[in-house]
Amino acid sequence: MSLKELFPAKYVTGFIFSLVLTVAALSVWYFDLSYQVGLSILIVTAFIQAGVQLIMFMHVGESEDKISIYTHTYYAVAMGLIIVIGTLFTMIWGYQ
Amino acid sequence: MKIDHSVPKEYATEENRLKIFGFWIFIGAEVALFGTLFATYLTLVGHTATGPTGSEIFEIGPVLIETFVLLTSSFLIGLSVHAMRLGNKKAMLTFLGLTLLLGLTFLGVEIYEFTTYVHEGAGLQTSAFTAALLTLLGTHGAHVTLGLFWGLAIIIQVSKRGITPETANKSFIFSLYWHFLDVIWIFIFSFVYLKGLM
Repeated sequence: MSLKELFPAKYVTGFIFSLVLTVAALSVWYFDLSYQVGLSILIVTAFIQAGVQLIMFMHVGESEDKISIYTHTYYAVAMGLIIVIGTLFTMIWGYQ
Repeated sequence: MKIDHSVPKEYATEENRLKIFGFWIFIGAEVALFGTLFATYLTLVGHTATGPTGSEIFEIGPVLIETFVLLTSSFLIGLSVHAMRLGNKKAMLTFLGLTLLLGLTFLGVEIYEFTTYVHEGAGLQTSAFTAALLTLLGTHGAHVTLGLFWGLAIIIQVSKRGITPETANKSFIFSLYWHFLDVIWIFIFSFVYLKGLM
């Protein structure tokens, strides 16, 4: 079995992309950026990175149940965001 | 049990397909678990009492090692599932073994980090910040630890029974778990470490 068969381009691309995103996120540590700019970069790179894992590696779209899986995962992510943002809204931002 | 040969083995029976669906529902619950831990951490990050702040104890070196090790292991377990679909048991087990080896490396670096924190006076009971930090990191680390035993059990079973619809299903579900842990780490890397060092 050839190496090309064992290392499909899609996976290698996903891996390289995830390394590039990590280096991009590191810019907030390396450069002297403002808090808002730095945090915006982190939000963008982290969510793209999560998407890369989900689409490139987790085969989310290939099951017959894909509509249910997508619906439930979007729901879970929305709930996660509501938990985090809702907590910050009630515990921190409301007092500033 | 009806085996459908037109799809990869891990989806080949109805039970297999439903087990994968069920695992996605479990991952949804895990998102809520880590969501509450991130919410707690981000709320308490400034409450350092007499203890150190994040920028005083975080070191970029070990964190970068952990990140690259975990990203590579996630890639390798992807290759393992790919080799499994090709029916190449040897390549599948090699990739899976390397995945676990990197998982073990990650855990070693994390344990080193934890002992450093404690030596620097940042224990679980030092401040609200350290308690929230170590709970978040520790919950992720406990998941990785569980994953190491789970993965080892899968290696043993696949080497004994070969790639069957049953073992392929278990391996695939384990790969979902491992990728998910990588996703959680990305958020820890970004919103705990890099945000703290910014």
